Amino acid sequence: MERKGNNYITDRASDPVFLEETKKTVAGKKMLDCIQCGVCAGSCHARFAMDYSPMQIIKMVHLGLKEDVLSSSTIWICASCYTCTSRCPQGIDIPALMSQLKNMAIQNNIPAKIPTKPKFHKAFTEIVGKYGRMHEPELQVRLMDKSDLGQLFNTARLGLRMWRKGKVKLSPSRIERKRDVEAIFKGAMEKEEKK
Amino acid sequence: MRYAYFPGCSVEASAKEYEMSADAVNRVLGVEFVEIPDWNCCGSIDAVHAYNPKLSLALSARNFSIAETMKMDIVTLCSACFFTLSRANKMMREDSALKGTVDRIINDAGLKFAGDANIRHYLDVLINDVGTEKIARNVKLSLKGLKVAPYYGCLLVRPPQVRSFDDPEHPKSIDKIVDALGAASVNYGDKTRCCGASLVLTDETVMLNMTKDLLLSAKSLGADCIVTPCPMCHFNLDAKQKQIESHFDVKIGIPVLYITQLIGLAFGIQLKDLGLQRNIVSPASVLKKLKTISHACS
Repeated sequence: MERKGNNYITDRASDPVFLEETKKTVAGKKMLDCIQCGVCAGSCHARFAMDYSPMQIIKMVHLGLKEDVLSSSTIWICASCYTCTSRCPQGIDIPALMSQLKNMAIQNNIPAKIPTKPKFHKAFTEIVGKYGRMHEPELQVRLMDKSDLGQLFNTARLGLRMWRKGKVKLSPSRIERKRDVEAIFKGAMEKEEKK
Repeated sequence: MRYAYFPGCSVEASAKEYEMSADAVNRVLGVEFVEIPDWNCCGSIDAVHAYNPKLSLALSARNFSIAETMKMDIVTLCSACFFTLSRANKMMREDSALKGTVDRIINDAGLKFAGDANIRHYLDVLINDVGTEKIARNVKLSLKGLKVAPYYGCLLVRPPQVRSFDDPEHPKSIDKIVDALGAASVNYGDKTRCCGASLVLTDETVMLNMTKDLLLSAKSLGADCIVTPCPMCHFNLDAKQKQIESHFDVKIGIPVLYITQLIGLAFGIQLKDLGLQRNIVSPASVLKKLKTISHACS
């Protein structure tokens, strides 16, 4: 896994608007209270797979390093387990901040280090938009990398195992008042654009 | 004891046995689930929120708009739904501007919500409304001799800022239930360590690493099984276990039961009503041990 070490102040220009934008979001409100104690970095169960620690990401947002932050693997690897927030002395909602940064990466069309991640969020949301509920097999199929034979094999094997145990529901469960969800999607998408 | 029940998408499909066993246990304990009519996806904090934060909140809010009219506490079996709904409720209660935005989205859909619902996880109900005494009174087959690793996962008890009925670092509610059933809970240090469920479809190797550690530590402690109250955790620990074994070339083979399946076994409920035939890792070793225990007692 690629590691950049601690020299995270790059020669790329700092973007002051990025800090302002992040601060304005619900998740970014308390971000400036960070004292860089490192409890989040030491607590993170997924740190081994990240290029920067959560503490570093927060500092990088303070410094306006938009491109480095939004192209990091960290924001996508965060598993939202909330160990960091439970222990953060400043009560910063770090997973929500990561989620907000994911959203900004999607909005800014910044290629993700884990390319399936943006696809996952899009596919999940669209399936919920279609039925009002999740349909597990459809999500799995939409995210399969058809060129990765190893993955196809593992998915097929797991699918079969689950099928035998009656854990695969082929027909989606749909809500009755579908127009409610359509209206909610329409409203939320408009609000997102106006932002 | 009646509750507005929010099933969530996974208990309708891959985690059906969780609901089956909860229903069976509820019948013994006098708990009644009244399903929230026409509920929708909770708004998944991980999946939908990153795509569109307001959409996630508005999806939660539609559920509130229906559930609030039922005038009962909302109960869910899924830790992820529990967290998403609790957090949405809390955020909108504390931030009137945010609630205003979500109100406008919801009103356009012809709905309204107050944001005063009380959202609870089923484990909270078992511990605080039913109580371990009542659970112990209904035990027909003591699980004495069975060693259980209680796995709490993440979003059930974290973060304490959102809502907590148990300690975020050292939760005890499952241990207390295991104790009431006569079994012994092992001091499982990884009980709140993340299994990586939200990475299962996107960063599989990372998730396999995270879950492998949980399985191996439970096994090294000599646990006969792991119990969990979350369908996401269960999927990783149970359905993914064989893949973990082949990926890391290790032998694990530890059954993973829902907390309700373990309670059901102690209540003497029929195996098929607990959906035990649906678990991917066969619970045969646990059943065999229980048989030995019951023979030894009789």
